[in-house]
Amino acid sequence: MDGLDAHQLTALFRLMSLRIDEARHMLGQLDGAIGDADHGNSMAEGFAAVVRASVQASSRGAGAGDLFAIAADSFLEAVGATTGPLYASAFLSAGQRYRGMQSLRAADIPGLIPAFASGIAARGKASAGDKTMLDVWGPAARAVVDAQAAGSAPLAVLDVALEAAEEGREATRAMTATVGRASRLGQRSLGHVDPGAASAVIIIAALRDGLAVHLGQGAG
Amino acid sequence: MATRGESGVLAEMPMPFGDDALLWAAWLYYEDGLTQGEIAGKMGLSRASVNAWLAEARSRGIVNIQIQPERFRSVSIARALKDQFGLQDCLVIPSEGEGGSLTDRLGRAAAQVLKRLVRSGDTLAVTWGRTVLAAAEALDHRGLADIRVVQATGSTTARIPWTPEACASRLASALGARWIPLSVPAIVSSPKMRDLLLGEPVLSEQIEVLREANRIVMGISSMRPESTIHTSGFLDGIDRHAHYQDAAGSLTGRFISARGAAVVGPLDHCTIGLDLSQLLTIPQKIAVAGGIDKVAAILAALRGGYVDVLVTDAVTARGVLTADGWQEQPRRFEALPETGETLPRSTGKKLMNAVKDLVDESLAGALVAHEALIAPVPGTGRAVMSRAGPRPGKVGIVIGGGAGHEPGFWGYVGKGLADAAVVGNIFAAPPPGPILAASRAVNGGAGLLYIYGNFSGDLMNFSMAREMVEAAGIPVRQIVTNDDIASSPPDNRGARRGVAGNVFVFRIAGAAADLGASLDACEAVTRRAAQRTYTMGLALEPARLPDTRRPSFDLDADQMEIGVGVHGEPGVEQRPLASADDAADLLLDRILAEMAPARGDRVAVLVNSLGGTPAMELYILTRRIRQRLKAHGIGVHRTLVGPFYTSMDMQGVSLSMIHLDDELAALLDHPCQAPALTVTGQPT
Repeated sequence: MDGLDAHQLTALFRLMSLRIDEARHMLGQLDGAIGDADHGNSMAEGFAAVVRASVQASSRGAGAGDLFAIAADSFLEAVGATTGPLYASAFLSAGQRYRGMQSLRAADIPGLIPAFASGIAARGKASAGDKTMLDVWGPAARAVVDAQAAGSAPLAVLDVALEAAEEGREATRAMTATVGRASRLGQRSLGHVDPGAASAVIIIAALRDGLAVHLGQGAG
Repeated sequence: MATRGESGVLAEMPMPFGDDALLWAAWLYYEDGLTQGEIAGKMGLSRASVNAWLAEARSRGIVNIQIQPERFRSVSIARALKDQFGLQDCLVIPSEGEGGSLTDRLGRAAAQVLKRLVRSGDTLAVTWGRTVLAAAEALDHRGLADIRVVQATGSTTARIPWTPEACASRLASALGARWIPLSVPAIVSSPKMRDLLLGEPVLSEQIEVLREANRIVMGISSMRPESTIHTSGFLDGIDRHAHYQDAAGSLTGRFISARGAAVVGPLDHCTIGLDLSQLLTIPQKIAVAGGIDKVAAILAALRGGYVDVLVTDAVTARGVLTADGWQEQPRRFEALPETGETLPRSTGKKLMNAVKDLVDESLAGALVAHEALIAPVPGTGRAVMSRAGPRPGKVGIVIGGGAGHEPGFWGYVGKGLADAAVVGNIFAAPPPGPILAASRAVNGGAGLLYIYGNFSGDLMNFSMAREMVEAAGIPVRQIVTNDDIASSPPDNRGARRGVAGNVFVFRIAGAAADLGASLDACEAVTRRAAQRTYTMGLALEPARLPDTRRPSFDLDADQMEIGVGVHGEPGVEQRPLASADDAADLLLDRILAEMAPARGDRVAVLVNSLGGTPAMELYILTRRIRQRLKAHGIGVHRTLVGPFYTSMDMQGVSLSMIHLDDELAALLDHPCQAPALTVTGQPT
């Protein structure tokens, strides 16, 4: 079966949550090097709240497309911080794209990445090269659009998106922060991976692996 | 210590054991690892005697065998349940094993969990049933104080041994607690009878205790004929098919559907005891239930959010997960760059309970400690408001930011200061929800002024809240403070952080609003105060985050971090540790260079501990700062010294100064009363 209903979309969110939770301390350490070390906790709490709310909503019979707005609210109220509004905007933007859809086709899933990217860009107002999560979401979104235009299958689209995301993450080492807390460090942020960029890669990888499992093609 | 013989085993019964062969046998068995047969041979006794002694050693508490719950929790199935349903904790025991029936074994597991969770001062509600009674019988945990065990429902038929009274009284005696019964039947003949009984003073007193329950231990009943709910007589004379065909299980004598929704029927209006919505408000709901026949009921309870801690067995747990569509998920660690292990120089000890409860519990303490001054904002757990407000026609001042800065921000709520404060997670901005709730609560019709530090998270969340509040027709202005001169050069002041200087800014805004200034006037004078406030900080030791207890940045033993932020962010440079006077000069000189006061100007001074630096050191710095200001010809209008705006346990100080004019000085002298700052009008 190709499509994802609300329960199956919840399983995708759960995989993101598990992966982020595994990386909680690693993200905290990355953040501690240049920020206030709360990024791992914020992301883990946010995604845990998304899973809780999605489990309840899908049990009540919500459609897959309705989960995004619910995810946005639950993430925001659980976290606040910077990641709260940014990921809430990401989920809301995806919610606009998939509004009213009872289930998503596998071919719809890669579109989550450009939707997230535009939501995050609109809320955070960062530009490419500012050493933020957008340095991952931006290149990954462009990779999705290009691969879809070339007619690639959903999983292949996510493969190239993940590659672009990983490149983006490594590129943040060479950047100095100009927005957010790390900006006060100036030169001292050089050489460090941006924690928001690192967590964005984890989410994209979970999306890719979750879809692979759903399609019965293994985690690769 | 006993000495060892050549064989590596005590060769003879040594003196300290005297003639107590029991101790001798226990030592050989548990410490030296001999088998019971070897011990029997060594001591010239039968194996049966050795076995009996070892059992006695356990029952007398000479040998204490404790199974670490962590070991059980690590079982992957417990982890899966925790993840799938967002549980606080989950204990899964093997379904087969020595030691009696599954009910007895679940009871013993639940007793272990209770031992770990129950605290002095608890009001513990309890339901009834076989497993609950088994838990009460397996528990023996006295030594805690002021515990009340309260029945969650009235009484049932005495045809069963595991009645609500039996469960509650046994549990109370196992905990050395007070037992509060509900002195009525759980089911009465009519709604009218129920209402009559609820009006009885004895019962309403007991129900009041039940309302104060902070934990509940409960069974989960299936809907099968042999289930607790049936054998307790609840469904006697009720046409189950007519009223409860949707019920998948029962909790506290109420019924729930497969999705966890309440199934309402004729019993609801005749039942005396905790209902499902009241159950949901209990902070920690511990359920103990197992057996494959209970899978549907347990799943329903989990989906409904009625369980925070689950004790069950492996077969049941797997059944619940499978019924919920769970599959093993691929798990793999991201191949991410290693940042290297940084070993903490100290262990970062903290007095706390669960990390996730840290902020809420600290806030709860502040609310009771200062109950005459502050109260919770209705509808949110993360905002406090002044008992002195809101006042019609007065501008409402709303402040806030992340937790970890205590007494920021609730310490600055009170008459003549802020009207409400909103708190986020540790070092993380609060979400819009509580800001919105606080805004509504303190709106006196003259508009609201938000004051918060310049951090991207606070900007986003306060701005989102502001949009919603303004959409509701309440005008909002905001002052984003940026007093931290270390965080950006003067020509880019807009990028600077807002830190301890906020105390002065809150003070000015609160005084102006208290004196009846309009929103425009409040905003203008607060903005001027913010522009004339400067802060500079340094750290000797980084803060340690509660979950990792690790330092938030690296700092060598002989270094100090200059220009550190209030969230444990690294500063702008590291320098060798200086003396108190040199450190004071460093902070003061930077501030004076920017403030550029003329001789005869006046300032107010705040020497602030970032959490870990004691008053003794703060006063050494204060002495030097006052000497220097005097020599510079600057008058000091007011001096504040202490932990006013902290960064958890960071060792370090910040110096804040506000460059006063006559209006600002008068506003600083205006009386105020808040948990962290009281001004009576006299300069101190």
